[in-house]
Amino acid sequence: MDVFGSFALILAFVCALYALGGGIAAIITRHPLLIKSARQSGMATCGLIFVSTLSLVYLFFSDNYSVAYVVSHSNRDLSTFFKVAALWSGQEGSLLFWSFLLAIYVFSVLFVYRNKNPELMPYVGVILAGVQLFFLTISNFVASPFKALGVANASGAFDLVARADGNGLNPVLQYPEMVIHPPNLYSGYTGFTIPFAFALAALLARYPGEKWIHLTRKWTMIAWCFQSMGILLGAHWAYAVLGWGGYWGWDPVENASLLPWLTGTAFLHSVMMQEKRGMMKVWNVWLVFLTFMLCILGTLLTRSGVVSSVHAFAQSNIGNWFVGFLCIVLGVCLAAYFKNRDYLKSENQLDSLVSRESSFLFNNLVLLVACVAVLSGTLFPVFSEWFTGSRISVGAPFFNKVNIPLGLLLLFLTGVGPLLAWRKTSTESLLRNFKGPSILGLVSGVIALALGLREMFSLICLILCAFVASTIVQEFYRGAKVVRVRTAADWLTSCVDLTLRNTRRYGGYIVHFGMVMIFIGLAGQAFNKEVEKEMPVGSTVKVGKYELLLQSMDQKQEKNYVAERMIVEVLQDHKPVMMLYPERRNFPTNQESGTMVAIYSTLREDLYVVYAGINPATNLPTIHAFINPLVKWVWWGGMVVVMGTIVALLPNRAAVVVLAKSEVPAGAPEVSGMRPAQIALREGHD
Amino acid sequence: MISQNATTRKVKGAGILLVGVLAFTAPGAQRVLADQNDRAHQIGAKLKCMCGGCDQSAAKCYHVGGQYSGPCDVAKQEIKEIDAQIAQGKSGDQVLQAMIAQYGPLAYVEPPKSGFGLVAWLMPILYLLAGTALVIVIMKRWRKRPAAVSTAAAAAAAAGGVQVTPELLARARELAQRETED
Repeated sequence: MDVFGSFALILAFVCALYALGGGIAAIITRHPLLIKSARQSGMATCGLIFVSTLSLVYLFFSDNYSVAYVVSHSNRDLSTFFKVAALWSGQEGSLLFWSFLLAIYVFSVLFVYRNKNPELMPYVGVILAGVQLFFLTISNFVASPFKALGVANASGAFDLVARADGNGLNPVLQYPEMVIHPPNLYSGYTGFTIPFAFALAALLARYPGEKWIHLTRKWTMIAWCFQSMGILLGAHWAYAVLGWGGYWGWDPVENASLLPWLTGTAFLHSVMMQEKRGMMKVWNVWLVFLTFMLCILGTLLTRSGVVSSVHAFAQSNIGNWFVGFLCIVLGVCLAAYFKNRDYLKSENQLDSLVSRESSFLFNNLVLLVACVAVLSGTLFPVFSEWFTGSRISVGAPFFNKVNIPLGLLLLFLTGVGPLLAWRKTSTESLLRNFKGPSILGLVSGVIALALGLREMFSLICLILCAFVASTIVQEFYRGAKVVRVRTAADWLTSCVDLTLRNTRRYGGYIVHFGMVMIFIGLAGQAFNKEVEKEMPVGSTVKVGKYELLLQSMDQKQEKNYVAERMIVEVLQDHKPVMMLYPERRNFPTNQESGTMVAIYSTLREDLYVVYAGINPATNLPTIHAFINPLVKWVWWGGMVVVMGTIVALLPNRAAVVVLAKSEVPAGAPEVSGMRPAQIALREGHD
Repeated sequence: MISQNATTRKVKGAGILLVGVLAFTAPGAQRVLADQNDRAHQIGAKLKCMCGGCDQSAAKCYHVGGQYSGPCDVAKQEIKEIDAQIAQGKSGDQVLQAMIAQYGPLAYVEPPKSGFGLVAWLMPILYLLAGTALVIVIMKRWRKRPAAVSTAAAAAAAAGGVQVTPELLARARELAQRETED
């Protein structure tokens, strides 16, 4: 099966090469058969990548320990569930997995638009084939996941061998979220290839109007949604597994995932300027280019060892390939832009400084400044080494100090932007829209101060959260009120009706509400509390309002590991609340160990308990307990963000047919028990 | 009068909701802050974990290469050293300086606000200033530029005898629709 997978991978490379070369020839000659063959070659590339990936999965399932990658990342006792995760747990497999996800997108695009947009699609096909070709080159010739296990013999040649069992999967990856976090994050990274391909294709082909934006909006939102989910699932994994009590440590790899998310978010907002007003065309094209390049840069940071990271893959020279690819992409983008930039001229003027357009400009400014600040902070150790000869560390405190004010500014704009009108907002409209939310925000600040909240950023954050949440509620209230007048439905039905009539607008509000919830959760971080203590059995330790009683210790033997557990009773006001079982797992196969954190989570705070091992000097178990306020709001906020994005992806309910009773002439027959109706057709938009 | 009562009710309702949410979150947070007195961890948060495999702070290291996940052995050792120095009666600054003297400037978890480290702090400010200046320039240019459609209309008017053609009307309707929805 390894030969089969390897063969499929090399065939995919050949097909991608043809899709690229044939596609370019098709663009030049405009020959319909050549266009068709290039497209079909692109689809065949995807099919072959699917086959190759499934072959590798099969090698894991069949415990084939003659393949080096399988030996390094699996063992016989590893559960089937985690054997799937082993696919992307190392350098070679994760790159193939990247190609696999990209192939899903590419195949979908080539299939969906096979008979549409004939002027644009050959360009799109070529660009997508170019990206696929790069990753296939890496998987075939630089980091092949199908490399056979070999041992050097006396003559220096390699003898093929097979091992009885593998080295096993890294313990920290043996957690359910590791099976869903990387696919989500990678789906985000790879998904941004589609808007990139359409934007570059539209520029190269001088494709008329904003059609490329309409075509790619859904793809961009899908990629953004996956990226958001991936980031949050990664944060939750770090929180639940790594045992340091937090969920975001500004590690270079975490930063790398945030960078395209920030530019992608900026694009999702600024794209509206182009759709509604024909403005910011250059900006939008470059935002998409930048987002794609940041995805590649993120991969480069993760895999090259340029910066120190807890997530680092095996160090290799693979980074040079990514640098080369990044230079090619930048070169192509610059060439296309300078050749056809006159096509991107703006159509409209800015009528007023107080308008939706201005708020989008500032929204983009803040997002881009945050992106560049995170990027330069991440790369600063490298810069400092270049200029001074020694590395200067840039850790979490720096990123927090820089990004907290930017985040608050963004939160403020989240509340302000949607309430400003396009073109110009009158003073009356400003007063009408902002009076209530501003008062509520200020009142919330006064109450928080009265209750003793003194942490400045958290206080500002809570005020802004109240402000933004009330602007959103106000928008739903006003819209639903109009619907109620027409339909006489209840508030909930009216809100649902309203949302379905303009999914993009109200889906966006739901996303904003999710972001408010996340910010509430982030505000709680300032008040974390922790305690670490060696605990004899029967002793207690107090953390916050809880008392933790170590009842006993035990061991349980599982298939792939041995777990040492603390059995901890949680008491509040001397009354039992629940039992927690923090554990430490020892994996005999690879002689590694990992923690399983026990969390008692409420909306108000998390009680987070880690079994930190046994102190060899005293032979006593050590407990590390945290009180983390408001963390649950982050996870729930994330779910609301995803829900909002899904709503925004739904098509608008086009029109509502309302049946109203009317006078019927006497003697007229009734049909199906229903009186003939006067039908009023209403517009889908309010 | 009816609408005033309704407004009063809404404001009261919103106020009660707000007080509820804040009462739910703030006092707990305040108590937690008051309890936050672990000096070793506070100082440890300003120092880098010196294991060489990560860029985390000694207090918040979650380097997976450690004996077990979460603070690795090197980070734990640093916290112990800080603890020992606090026990000797040193102030926070003294402990920090002693640790820097021991490990070198690389042990700072954030760039020092002097020398080349200052560049790291100035960069975000520079980005914000440059970005704001750019936005202002763009806004000024946009305000000066006449709109494409109005230019076309003005040109048609200048040509005399403006006829509102169905195409022009359809274009105007489309524009109005685009610019007023959402």
